[in-house]
Amino acid sequence: MTKIIYGIKMYFIFFKASLKEMLIYRLDCIVGMVSQIVTQLVELIFIWVVFQNTQSISGWNFMQILLLYGITLISIGISDLCFDELYQIGPEYIKEGEFDKILLRPVHPLLSIIGASREFTALGHLLLGVIFTIIMLIKLAIPITFILILKIIFFSIVGAAIIGAILTIFSIASFWTYRANEVMWSFYKIYTFTQYPIDIYNKFIKILITIVLPYAFVAYFPTLNYLGINYNMIYLSIVVAIVLWVIAIKVWNWALSKYRSTGS
Amino acid sequence: MLNSLLMLGKMQFRQYSIYKSNFYLFTLNRIVEIVVYIFVWQEIYKETGEAGGFTIAQMITYYILVFTLSSLATWGVNEEMSYSIKNGKINKELINPLSYFQYYFGINLGELAFALLVGIATFILCSIFWSVSLPANIINLILFVIVIILGIPITFFLQMIVGITGFYTNSIWGMQILRKSVISIFSGIIAPITLFPNWFQSLANILPFQELIYTPINIWLGQMPLKEAIFIIIKQIIWGIILYIIAKKFFNHAIKKITINGG
Repeated sequence: MTKIIYGIKMYFIFFKASLKEMLIYRLDCIVGMVSQIVTQLVELIFIWVVFQNTQSISGWNFMQILLLYGITLISIGISDLCFDELYQIGPEYIKEGEFDKILLRPVHPLLSIIGASREFTALGHLLLGVIFTIIMLIKLAIPITFILILKIIFFSIVGAAIIGAILTIFSIASFWTYRANEVMWSFYKIYTFTQYPIDIYNKFIKILITIVLPYAFVAYFPTLNYLGINYNMIYLSIVVAIVLWVIAIKVWNWALSKYRSTGS
Repeated sequence: MLNSLLMLGKMQFRQYSIYKSNFYLFTLNRIVEIVVYIFVWQEIYKETGEAGGFTIAQMITYYILVFTLSSLATWGVNEEMSYSIKNGKINKELINPLSYFQYYFGINLGELAFALLVGIATFILCSIFWSVSLPANIINLILFVIVIILGIPITFFLQMIVGITGFYTNSIWGMQILRKSVISIFSGIIAPITLFPNWFQSLANILPFQELIYTPINIWLGQMPLKEAIFIIIKQIIWGIILYIIAKKFFNHAIKKITINGG
């Protein structure tokens, strides 16, 4: 237990250091945030065009879909912010020999790497997500109580943790190929499936996004709870997050034991 | 000159083929995106039965062709250009016996060859999962190819304009994303243009982007009267010339301002 608390404390120290590093490049950060919002605009236009042609998608109306969209963006924003550095294990850490230095530190290497994340452009996602969530909650006449706010914050973090665990699992590809970031990105992108009600998909994809890569627990099941459609599935998110992290750490440690330095 | 352009293209293409895994992953990414669009539309057709004059079979073909063509419409030399501006490699490019434009056109050919390969792979893989309608007839297929080829100068000169802004700002990352987004919105990558409101359609009619995706796919599906083809071709040539002139003028102005990093 003390080891875990020590780990968490170390994580925040790393996080603060990378925050300071990012502030050097303020302009890049702002440009990045704006361009992320522009990219999201493309997806929003698709949703808008779709609803020019229909009233609902499998029972969900425009505002409900946008609420789901906002909640997803919050989790995506948090996970991009906290786990982005995992993409760099292959192309940066291992290829450049930086990884050996990290192995010498008295903290777990995974913690060092995750703590070095500084993808602050992700704040663009987070901001957009929060704005959409608030507007849609008001428009859908869902009372914004203190408990609801706490619930959204808590389960958004749990959702980000789920994405982080999935990324961690796929990041082990870095130990075999430098280009593992592309592999990770392909599996990460599958989260976009859960920006729509999962009833629209066939059985294969439903199993994929609830069991194999349980992205549905990131935002979809929580949103069902906020909308009052299904109250209970949301709590499974916590179990999913814990189980995934146990698997992720086991798998990562196993992969680490296979690691051979590049010697560069 | 043509030989050296093709040689440059070949070199660029080879860079990609070193990493075969890239090819599979790019294709996989494309399919992930297609899945969302197709399932959403299938759900809508269950309720409405029709949208924008397309049947569901045509709509599925539409999106598969979108992702076959979208790499041709959006990939290119911008990353390469901004990289050379950042690390000073650009001074060598400027004193090349080939002009700056020719040099990058050669590189662009290599990029497009790879984009075409990914596009074709996407098309073949998708036709396993969904039924794709084939071109209405051989004339449509020929026109489809002509319109796509005429789109190449348009996307190329647009990239040069975006790239040259890097002479002033040193970083074109933001502009690059803006370019891709504008193309996505106005070319019909998001959805067929007929599904958009009227004001948007008239705007898209003037801009050169719908000829990159929407028009060729409509020709493929036999949704477009062939008489209009001649106007489309003229429009594309005029836009190609306009963008060429803007890019050239802009380049001539920017070249006086440039500072070379590191050197």
